[in-house]
This record gives sequence, C-alpha cells and structure tokens, in this order.
Amino acid sequence: MNFLLPRMMPGNPAVVVYNEILKAGGSGINPSYLHQLEVEYGISNAPIYDQYFQYLWNLFHGNLGISIAFYPEPVSSILAEALPWTLFLVISSITISFFIGNRLGRYAGVNRNTYRDLAIDIFAMFMASFPAFVLAFIVLDIFSVYGHIFPLGGAYGLDVTMGFNVPFLISVMYHAFLPILTIILTSLGGWVLGMRNNIIPNLNSDFINFSENLGFKDYQIKSIAYKNALLPNMTGFAMSIGLSVSGVIIEESIFSYPGVGLYMITAIDSLDYPLMQGIFLMVVIAVLVGNLVVDILYGFLDPRIRQEGE
Amino acid sequence: MQDQNYHRIPERSVHYERFMSVMEKIRSSLGVILENNKSRVGFALLIGIVVFSIVGIFYTPYQPDAYLFARGLPPNSVNILGTTGYGQDVFSQLLGGAAPTLMIAFSVGVFGTLISVFVGLLSGFASKRVNEAINAIISIFLVVPGVLLIMLFGTYFLGIHESLGYLPTIIILVITGWAFGARTFRSITLSIAKRDYILSSLLIGESRMSIIFRQIMRAIMPVVVSNFFFTSMYGAMGLTFVEYLGVGNVEQVNWGTMLYWAINNEAYLTGQWWWILPPSIMISMLMFSFILLNFGLDEMANPSLRVYSRKKRIVKND
Repeated sequence: MNFLLPRMMPGNPAVVVYNEILKAGGSGINPSYLHQLEVEYGISNAPIYDQYFQYLWNLFHGNLGISIAFYPEPVSSILAEALPWTLFLVISSITISFFIGNRLGRYAGVNRNTYRDLAIDIFAMFMASFPAFVLAFIVLDIFSVYGHIFPLGGAYGLDVTMGFNVPFLISVMYHAFLPILTIILTSLGGWVLGMRNNIIPNLNSDFINFSENLGFKDYQIKSIAYKNALLPNMTGFAMSIGLSVSGVIIEESIFSYPGVGLYMITAIDSLDYPLMQGIFLMVVIAVLVGNLVVDILYGFLDPRIRQEGE
Repeated sequence: MQDQNYHRIPERSVHYERFMSVMEKIRSSLGVILENNKSRVGFALLIGIVVFSIVGIFYTPYQPDAYLFARGLPPNSVNILGTTGYGQDVFSQLLGGAAPTLMIAFSVGVFGTLISVFVGLLSGFASKRVNEAINAIISIFLVVPGVLLIMLFGTYFLGIHESLGYLPTIIILVITGWAFGARTFRSITLSIAKRDYILSSLLIGESRMSIIFRQIMRAIMPVVVSNFFFTSMYGAMGLTFVEYLGVGNVEQVNWGTMLYWAINNEAYLTGQWWWILPPSIMISMLMFSFILLNFGLDEMANPSLRVYSRKKRIVKND
C-alpha cells in the first residue's frame, strides 16, 4: 500500500516542487531541472515491478528517500531523531491509562446499578466523545497560557544538557506532563467502558457462582472476575497503540513536542510525500510489532489459546 | 353518522395499509431505542441536534460565510455568540454548519455499516479459504491507523485538487472506518450460521438469499443499528480531524472548519473562547449522543450486559 499509493496518484513530489518554484518565479527553470529533481527524489519511469524491487531494496537498507521540507536531510535520520520522543509519550500514557481505566471500569462494574457506576459511565463516555485536540487546547490554555504552571512546548528545557542526568530527566517529565495527561484523559473512556462491559457478564457467570458457594471471600471473587475480564482488553491494548499514535500526532503538533507528529504536520503542510510515507510505514511497523508482542503475551495469559495450538 | 364512519374503514386503500405497516415498523423500532435509559438520552440529544441542523438549512440570522461585522466581538445582543476573527457571525456559522457535519457523519455511518454488513455476511457463508482472506483484509484495515491513512489520502487529494470536497472526505472516512464493524458482524454471522435453525431451514430447502436476508439480518439488526451509530461517531470524529489538519476544503462552513479557523488564528491564545468553544461543544454533544445510543443498544442486543442485581446467598450456613 505504501508503495502503490504514491504511484497511483497523478503527479509526484518533483512536479509539486517544480510547480512551487514556477509559482515563486524562480529563474533558470526548465524541464531539464524537473528531470534533475526526479532523479534526486528517486522517481523513475521503469516498469512497476522494477520499481517495487528497487523500493524493497531501499527499504532493506534503511533508505526511505530524502525529505522535501527538510532538504537535504534523509527521512530515516529525521525519524531516528523523532521516534524516541513519540514512543516515550505513547507507551507511558497508554500504560497509565490502561491501568487507571481498568481499575475504574472494575469499580463501576462491581458497583453496577448505583450512582457511582452511573457517574463513572457518564464521565467515561463524555471523555471519549471529546475530540482529542480540543481537549489538548483547553488543557494548554488553562495550565500554560493562563496558569503559567507548565511550559508551552518542547521536550526539555534549554538550560539542561542531554543525557542521563537528574535535571534533564526532571525537565523531560515536566515537559511531557501535559501531553501525557491529555492522551490519558481521551483514551481512558474506552478502557473504562470495555472493562465494565466485560466484568458484568463475568460476575454473573457460573464459575463465580461456584466459587461463591465454595466460600471465597468477596475481594477474591472480584479479582477472579477481574482477571478474566482483563483478557479481552489486552487485545484492545495492542490496537490502541495504533490509535493513540494517531492521537499523539495531533497532540504533538499542539504542544509542539518534537516527535513524529510535529514532522507529520509539517510534511502535510509542505506536501512532503517521502517524509509522510516514511512516517506512515514506521507507524504501521510499530503497530504490527505491538500487536505481535501482545499476541504472544496473550498466549501466556490465556491457557485456552495455548491449548488450541496443540 | 356512526354508520357512515363504520363503512368507511374497509374503503382504506392498499397504499394506506402499507403506509401504516411501515409506520408501525418504524414505531416499534423506535420503541426499541427508547427502552433503555442511555439510548433514550442519546436519542433526545440527537433529535435536538438534527432539529438544530434542519433549522440551519432554511434559516440563519446572517449569512454564515459573509464578513459583516467587526472582528473578534465577544457575545452581544446582535451576535449571540460573538464574531470570528474575520468578522463572521459565530452563531450563524454554528447553525449553518450543522447540516453538512451531520450529513457527513450519517453518510459515513450508512456506507460504512453497509460495507461491514456485506463483508460480515459474506464471510459467514463463504468457503474457508475466502473466509480467511476476508479476515486478513479486515485485520489489515483494523491495524492500520485510520487517522494516518486519512492524512496520507488527504494530502494526495490536496496535491491533485488543491482542496478536498465533501465526497472525497466521506470516501476516505468510509475506507478507514468499515473494518471494526466488519469484524463484529463476521463473528456474529459465523456463530449464527452454525446454529440449528439455520441448518434446518437449509435442509428444508430455503434459498441462501432468503436465509441471509430473512433470518440472519433479523438476528443481527440491533447490532447493525448500534454499529451505525458507532460508525457515524467515527465519521464525526474523522471529519473534525480532516478539517482540523486543513486537509479538507477549509472554505466550506461546518463545525470542523470552524475549529480549523479558530485554532489557526490562535483563538485559544488570544482569549476568544466564543469562537472555539461552541463548535467543540456541539461536536462533543453529537459524539456523546452517538456513544450513548451505541452503548444503550449494545446493552439491549447483548443480554449478558443487562444489569440485574445479584442473587442473595441463601445457602451460606447450610
């Protein structure tokens, strides 16, 4: 898909850049320059299968082409620079929201049909219905613009040196607080509702009645049901990595956090196709790896799946 | 008089009967929506927004996209919600932008649900190999992050047309949004297709089409409706993303482009809350109503989710 899309679409980056220069009234522009640009960006008119093998060969060597917006920096080096920040945001915020959300959902499910349950449900639904970037703006407005509590952007302060020292780590935490908070708030709702909907059938099931009759204590029963209800949410965990990468893109651009998202927005504004494809490919790979890891973990957690394979 | 009225009843035409039966069907399915507290609230909200948008089609206080007033006025007696940084009336924009927003949300809901029902039903009755292929396609679309795909598609469209109309927006959202529902329908159809009553009607000699449309469709109908609201929610969410990124046509007036202009002019930094808050509240309300309807209907379709109080433990000290 990543290979086909740009080739199916009429026009190519070289033409876009060429037209831009024409519009700006650049001098010394003629079709030979267009050809030069095409060579520069690795666009050829070779048969499609030749292009495909060329593309795979380049991928294999970590060559994703050259960015247009950040010319002449190659896409791969931009990604290497931006990826750690994004991964940091995504992993920390998903993990936190996963734990908080599941606990809240469990609380709501155990106390179902009460006002506490209703309050948690409504809160979760409302949070899930808020567009992520609007929430990000509100948070930014309250805490940074008017409150002056948190910084307006960046990943770390200018007064610290990069590396594993205490001031740097504190600065990173301080700068990441607001983005992580918004991602947690927007992704919390899904976990809460999912957990609640999983644990209610579990609490009504036969094995819970059985363990009740065996004389298990209340908290033991709840934790048994919780463990069982957690399993479907684990698969959701993998899928949410992909979803929140998309959410992170928006939030990074708002908090001007130097991750992949900020580059993505720049790439869209300047029609930087190579950079966009590089980011897209990388995100898809990240999501696939995440899915794979969770699938393997799932096998460890759920004995039923292991038995099926044997 | 009494007699005449009595005799008039059999004279009602066939069309009238048919109309009444359709109305009865609508009424009974509405009754299903109104059974549950969550979906009741969601339905009321949605009706409110729909009425708002219908009013917006026929009447707005001022022309939504005309620059008629001073720039950045706070709410006052002339402009109920103030004016934008370009001197447009915010309330008129909100009213006029409702219909396109709803239109996109609903059409994404309709087309996305149609595709996912089709794929789901197909996999229920296809051969094993086709079934696995369908499953693979579904999981690819599930895993690929939709918003990124929107950005990619949108930017390519931007490269060709310079701007994205409503139709490409809908197409993009449908392409990225159908997979989740398809997975749900696939698993439901597979489990229903194995049941005894389907097998027995196959043995009687009922045609497959009839089984699919009369029996399976009926069984999955509540899930279809619930999925429709979920996909519509995705449509509304996706629209705001598309417009916020400026990938769509930012000249059109809808809630997404309102947010785009407000945010691009840094309304949140200059304290123009009346520009940024109304569209975001309306979008949140729309999504909230979709979520409520989705979860309410899920609760009805899935009896195990129905909340009942637990049995008292009688045999404690037996």
